[in-house]
Parts: sequence; structure tokens; C-alpha cells
Amino acid sequence: MRRVLLLVTMLVGMTASAQDVVTQVRARLADVPLLRGGFEQKKTVSGFKKPLVSRGVFLLAREQGVLWDTQTPFASTLTLTRKSLSAQQGSGAAAYHLDASKEPGLAAVNEVMFALLSGDVAALSKRFRVEGSLEGAEGWKLTLTPTDAGLVRVFRVIHLEGDKYVRQVRLEEARGDVSVIQFDKLAQTPSPTETEAQRLAK
Amino acid sequence: MRSKWAILWLLVVLAVGAHQVWFWLSARLDTDVLALLPEDEQAPEVGAATRKLADGASRELVLLVGAPDWESAQRAAEVAREELSRDPSLLKPSALDASSLDVALELYRPYRDRLLTPAQREWLTRATADELGGTALMKLYQPAGPRLTDWEADPLGLWPDWWAARAAESTARPRDGRLWLSGEGREWVLLAFHSQVSAFALGADGRITGVVERARAAVTAAVPGSRMVVAGVPLYAEAAASQASDEMSTIGIGSMAAVLLLVWLTFRSVRPILLVGVSLVIGCAVAISVTALVFDRVHLLTLVFGSSLVGVAEDYGFHYFAARQGKPPSERGALMRGLLPGMVMALLTSVVAYLALGVAPFPGLRQMALFSATGLVGAFLTVACWFPHLDTGALPVTPFAQRFATSLARWPRFTSTRAWWTGTAVLALFILGGLWRLKTRDDVRQLQGAPAHLIADQRELGRLLGLPSPAQFFLVGGQDDEQVLEREAKLKERLDMLVADRMLTGYRAVSDWLPSAEQQRADARLSARAEAQAVAAVAQATGEAPTRASFADGVLTPEQLLASPASAAIRQQWLGTMGDQHFSIVMLRGLNAPSLLPHLAEAAQGLEGVRWVDKTQEISGLLQRYRQLMGGLIVLGYVAVLLLLVTRFRRQAWRAWLPTVVGTLFTLAVFGWVGEPLQLFSVLGLMLLLGMGVDYGIFMLEHPGEGSAWLAVALAGVSTLLSFGLLGLSATPALRSFGLTMLLGEVAIWLLTPCCRLPPGKDVS
Repeated sequence: MRRVLLLVTMLVGMTASAQDVVTQVRARLADVPLLRGGFEQKKTVSGFKKPLVSRGVFLLAREQGVLWDTQTPFASTLTLTRKSLSAQQGSGAAAYHLDASKEPGLAAVNEVMFALLSGDVAALSKRFRVEGSLEGAEGWKLTLTPTDAGLVRVFRVIHLEGDKYVRQVRLEEARGDVSVIQFDKLAQTPSPTETEAQRLAK
Repeated sequence: MRSKWAILWLLVVLAVGAHQVWFWLSARLDTDVLALLPEDEQAPEVGAATRKLADGASRELVLLVGAPDWESAQRAAEVAREELSRDPSLLKPSALDASSLDVALELYRPYRDRLLTPAQREWLTRATADELGGTALMKLYQPAGPRLTDWEADPLGLWPDWWAARAAESTARPRDGRLWLSGEGREWVLLAFHSQVSAFALGADGRITGVVERARAAVTAAVPGSRMVVAGVPLYAEAAASQASDEMSTIGIGSMAAVLLLVWLTFRSVRPILLVGVSLVIGCAVAISVTALVFDRVHLLTLVFGSSLVGVAEDYGFHYFAARQGKPPSERGALMRGLLPGMVMALLTSVVAYLALGVAPFPGLRQMALFSATGLVGAFLTVACWFPHLDTGALPVTPFAQRFATSLARWPRFTSTRAWWTGTAVLALFILGGLWRLKTRDDVRQLQGAPAHLIADQRELGRLLGLPSPAQFFLVGGQDDEQVLEREAKLKERLDMLVADRMLTGYRAVSDWLPSAEQQRADARLSARAEAQAVAAVAQATGEAPTRASFADGVLTPEQLLASPASAAIRQQWLGTMGDQHFSIVMLRGLNAPSLLPHLAEAAQGLEGVRWVDKTQEISGLLQRYRQLMGGLIVLGYVAVLLLLVTRFRRQAWRAWLPTVVGTLFTLAVFGWVGEPLQLFSVLGLMLLLGMGVDYGIFMLEHPGEGSAWLAVALAGVSTLLSFGLLGLSATPALRSFGLTMLLGEVAIWLLTPCCRLPPGKDVS
């Protein structure tokens, strides 16, 4: 009788099982305890004719979390840590907060996001079938196919491209929506500001 | 004339024999403790609810494999999984079939707009248009997340939260393709298996327990610091079966051996041993056959209890052979006729006492009563019909028997002297003091003899997983499904307060998966308004014209849900119609402290159709009621037996009656002094003492001054002691307490009975 409940937890948790690894890519990637930069996201969503474009900056701090701050078309912040997910609109009109202690699946979401941004192939290969190719002297491309029933429900496939850093992520969702995220101005410094550290400590 | 009876009895025995072959081949044995418990005659729906909850779990085996870190926990889980699935005809992994979630999603999808959590309901009621629009925008622009629908069908992203609330039913969460939870200093993997053999079918020979123990050993050997916690009805059933068969052989074979040894010591002849053995075997066979015919299945505990029957059933054989000793074979017919009045009287009192056990509407007790009564009759008829025909040789008096028979003359006899009255006063003080200190206990746990490690595992598993308790729940009734669901919702409001106060961690209700039609309509209106505002805001911000998807016109009905495999989660809790009422069960999680139970009983108060069911307390209450009832019956029984005795023995009747009364009171007093509480099963023991103790008095009065009667009483007493003493070894607390009562009472009565014998030269008539 617990079967459906278990499945539900699987879905909400979005985790996956391990698969083989394409190891060469790992050698080309920089080991990044901290990464910051800018992003441009083009999201194609059913019901919308044009892609929804947003731009902003992000900060990724290993073991702590991800700050995803959209600047246009409207200001909003997204904070993803091991403990919680919270979002806030710049105007303060909207905000929501999810607690990982109540929904431990968030930790897994965090892990996937973190791995995508930092190109952590080892972590990704636990949840995806990873195939890839090397491009030129420094570049590489990876195709991630989810191997777990829960994750299959969310992603159809994910493409990653980069060199020393991940330069582009293309998320193809199971329901047809596609997000293409380009990164620029990538750097491993400076360390988090006090405000950023506070947000990451949430 | 007599040989006609012998042939008739032979035919019956042959029929019983044939039935026995069939019975043992088809293994119609029952090990389920629930089968012993009475139906609640006032509320059949409570019984139905408990059965439904028990049935659902009867084949499930749940395991947690834990290790200090996640990597080794996964390794340990793999070892356990491999070991357990080695024999697919025994255990099968409960597969987490992804398609059943798809089925559930598709079932609920058209009704998505009317499935809201209480928090969402509250937020949607209070949120401003800005807030709704802003939230929709943020979620729209967020990188991919766990979405279950197109944006248009859930612009505010409400649905994943609803499913998350359903998932909160279990503390286990998916991680790396396994179900994971963290607690008590370890990382755990949850595994579930389904037994391929019925939990209550005998003949499994502890196979599941064996596999589980092998897996446990393999896990601890393969991964240091790992641990496996297992629970499941199949393990309990196997433990009960193996314990019962162990006890049957200890008690049954033990008392049989003791009886036969006594016979050998007394008669130094093989014939009495063989014949008494035959009477016992036939008695047991008759008992099993009759019980199987009346109840269809025989419970293992009945057999354990019945094993002690041997201690009573041999009395008849003893009487015959004790009287027969030293007499010529030609006299045996007349001898038997002379013994019959006393024997029949003794049989009657015993059978009446046993049958009185069956007054209580415990199916288990009724079985034991019928088993014992028919077993005694079977042994008696074998002695009466066959012994004079089969016992043809000489039977000289042995020195042991001689010495024993003459010891009666030296046994103290009550006379009106100062020393006897002083002794009596001391005994009276002892009894009064003990009775004053006597406590009672009516705890349901006395019915359970499950091994401690199983209970400990079950508790740990329940704690870690946050499983709902099957023993305490709310039963919600109503005129129709809609009313049941509405009443559930009212109850849940109160439970939410208890959850907020941390008295509970949660509950599981059908209405969580199927809100009432009215609730669905209200939620649909609420989400339609809020989502329209959100879509408008998004349209304005993006310059596009997205629309909100349309949903089903009607509401999700119980029929639709039940027809779908998606209802697996709640099917056990939806009882459907009983009589003219509809019922459902609301189960509770994290109910750890018994002190909280009154709060829960209170939560049901004033809510129409809601009934708090505390199965543990209910059964305890039942045990208490029957303890009191049986206590009253015992007093009546003593009065009835005294009247019966007076009709035959007139003014000397007290001599057969008083030793049993004093013995009973003495037993109660000892219980009081040593702090052993009085419970239903000790009271049942007292009931049997009444039937058996009086027998000794009857024989002593029927054959006053006869050494052979004393010898028979002594043999009967000692063998009864042995068999019930062995019952005191049972791991089932109820049987143990029963055995102790019999042991103490028998010793006392046996010692007292000759003290009350007739003075020499006096006769009853």
C-alpha cells in the first residue's frame, strides 16, 4: 500500500542512480570551489510564443549553495542551499521558502544544480547516463540522459558545453519546455560578500 | 453388553483416526493471535476495520539497512537485497513500479485545480494580485524544476506541493535510486519485500525468518558498523508457529513421559503404560478432530494448552489400575462398574469446569474449552469401554504402590485440637493478608508471546519510518461518502492542532487523497480566481497572451478513485458500507507516548460520526470484563458444586469441597504476597481448579480409607502438577500465568484433601 507514496517521494525527490562516466572531460574542467559570473537564460515554454529571456548573475559556493539573481526583466533572487530553497521578488511582492528538513528532496535538487553549474561529472554520472565528446584543444560537450524514473519525469535530456568552465547548459524538460543558459564573465573570485554569505548560510 | 460399547467406541476411534490423517495432511492450523480475540459485539465495524488493516500488512516485510555513511549503507542494502531475493518463490521485492505513479498522475490531472493543501488554501485566500502575479513570474523564469504539468495547467506551481504533502506520509526519500532516510546516527536504505507464502500457512518452517537471519549475518559481515532492522507479519507468524510447536513438544511430550514414568514406578508392568498411553493418544485425537470439525481450523495455542490435558486425562486410567492392582483379572468388570459412579462424577465436574471457559466469547478460549472437554471424554470412554477387555493379565501390588497406599494412614487429618486450630488461624491470616495485597492486571500484551527482538525491531522501524499505528485510530462514519469525507475534514482540523503542538507527527486520511465534493468545488473556485490573476499578471509582464488550461467539469468521486490502482494508498482505510453507514479510518503517525491517548479521545468528542478506537485499551477492557465475569462464575460454580456434592455425600460434602476452596484462596494469597497480578488467565486457572480439585475429594469420599484411591489421587495430582508446571514454562504470558495458578492450586489442594478425609471406620452413607 505504500507503493504510490514511495513513488511520489521519488518524483518529488528527483534523484537518480549511477551510470558510467566520461572521464576525459573531468581533466579539462577546472576544480571550482567558488564560481561566479553572469548568465543569460532563454526559456521556451508552451503557451508562450517567444522565448522568455532573463539575465543576471550567479554565485556558486561549493558545499554551501547557489545564488541565482535575475536582474532583467525583473529583479528576483533565488537562494538554493542544502537546507532550503527561497525566492524573493525585488519588489517584495512575492516570496516563497521551502524547507529541506520538511522536503529532503531539495538536497538532491541542489546537488544536481550544483553539479550542472560546476560540471561535476562524477556527481552527475550517479543520476544520468553521461555521453560526450571532446571539442578542439580545450572544449567538450556532454549529453546527460536521466536514468532514474523520478528524474525522467523532469528532464528529457540535458546538454552541457564548456572548456575549463561550463559555458552553456541546455535543459530539455520532459514536458517540452527548453531552457538554454549561457554563462559569461566566469571567475573564481572574489569570495562571497557579507550579504551573499548570509544568504548562503540560510 | 459391555463389548457392544467397546465395538461402538472402536468405530468412533477409527473415524477419528481417518479424520486425523486428513487433518495433519491439510495442515489446518492457525497461528494468528488475532484469531483468538473476540469480536466486538457492540461495534462490528471496529472489528472489520482492524481486520482490514491487519490483512493489508499480512504479507509485507519491511527492512531498513543502515550504516554510518551513505556509501556503505548502499553497499549493505545491496547485500541484503541479494540474500533476500535468492529464492523468488519465498520473497519478492516490492517493486516500485513507475507506471503506478503515472496512473495516479493521470487520474488526478483533470482535477488538479481542486486539490489544495491547507497551506495553499490559506495563501490563495490571502494573497494579493501582485503577490500571485509575482510568484507566477518567478516560477516561470526559474531554471527547470519539478513540474508535473504544462505551465498553463498550473501557473502558480501548486501541484508539486500537493504531491509533496502526500509524500510526507513517509520519512523515506529517494536518493540515488534508493529510498533513504537518516536517523539514530545512521544512514538507512528502505527495502520492502512481499512474502509469496501466506503468513498463516503452517509448514513454512521459519523459512522467511531463516532467510532474514542469513541476510542479517551477511550484511553485518560485509559492511562494518551496519545494522538491519526488519519487521513484518510473516516473521511474527513464523515465530509464533515455531514457539508453539516447541512448547507443544516440551509440554506435551514432557508430561506424557512423566505420566508414563509414574505408571511404570507404580505398576512395574508394560500393560498399564500402554493402555494409559492409548487413552491419552485417543483423547488428544478426539479433541483435535472435534475442534477441527467445529471451528474449521485449530489454533496452535489450543494445542499448547491442550498438551496439558494429558495431566488430567490420565486420572481415569490411574483410578482403574490403582483399584485393579492385586485383584484377580476376573474381577475387572465388576471393579470398573464400582469405579464408574465416582469417575463419572469427576468427569462431569471437570467437563463443566472446562466448558465454563467457553462462556467467555473468546474464540480462542472456546476452542481450548471444547478441546479439553472432548479430550477428557475421549480418554474416559477409552478407559471405560476398552480397559476391561484389553487388561487381561495379572497385576500384582508393587512395593512402591504398597508403601504409598499405606502412607494414607499416616497422613495428618484435621481434628479439633489446639494445634490444628492454631495452624488454621495462621493460614487464615496468610490468606487474608495476601488477598489484601492482590493486584489485578488486564494487559493485552499477555496474549502476545512474540520474541523481544521482533518487538524491538518493529518499534525501531516504526520510529524511523514514522509509520502509523494500527492499534489506535479514528473511525469516521456517515450517511454517505460525502458526509464521511466532510467529517474527516473536521476531525483533521483538530488533529492539525495536535500536530502543531507536537503531540503527533501526522495522520493519514482518505480525504487527503480525495477531498469531499464540496471541498473540491470550493478549492476549484479559489484556484480559478487566483490563477486567473496570476495569468493576467504574467500576460502583462511578458506581452503575450497565455491562457489558463481548463479542467474537468465534475469532481473526483470515490468510485473513480477506487476503480484506479492509484487508490492503493488509501484502500485499506476506506471501509465502504456497513449496514446503512459508510466508514473510513484515519490513522495516526508518531503516536509515541501513551499519555497522549486521552487527548486523542478528546479530539473525537463532539464530532458527529467520529469514534476514537484504541484497540489495545479495548482488548484490555474486554479482558477485564471477562476476568470479573469469570470471577463471579467461579463463586457460583463453587455453590453449584457444593449442592451437587450434598446430594450424594450429605453432611460430609464439605470434605470434598473445602480443600479446593482453601487451595484457591491460598493460590490467590500467594499471588498477592509475591506481587503476581491477577488476570483473566489466572482466573481461568482457578476455574479449572474447581473442576479438578473437587475430583480428589470425591474419590477419597467414594472409597474412604482405601489405599488404592489415595494412590490414584496421588498419581493424578503429581502428573497434573507436572503437566501444568511445564505450562508455566510457556513463553506466552497468558499460558504461563495459567500454568502457575494451576501449579500452586494443585499443590495446595492435593496436600489439603487427605487432611479432610473421613475419620477411620466412618462412611459417607
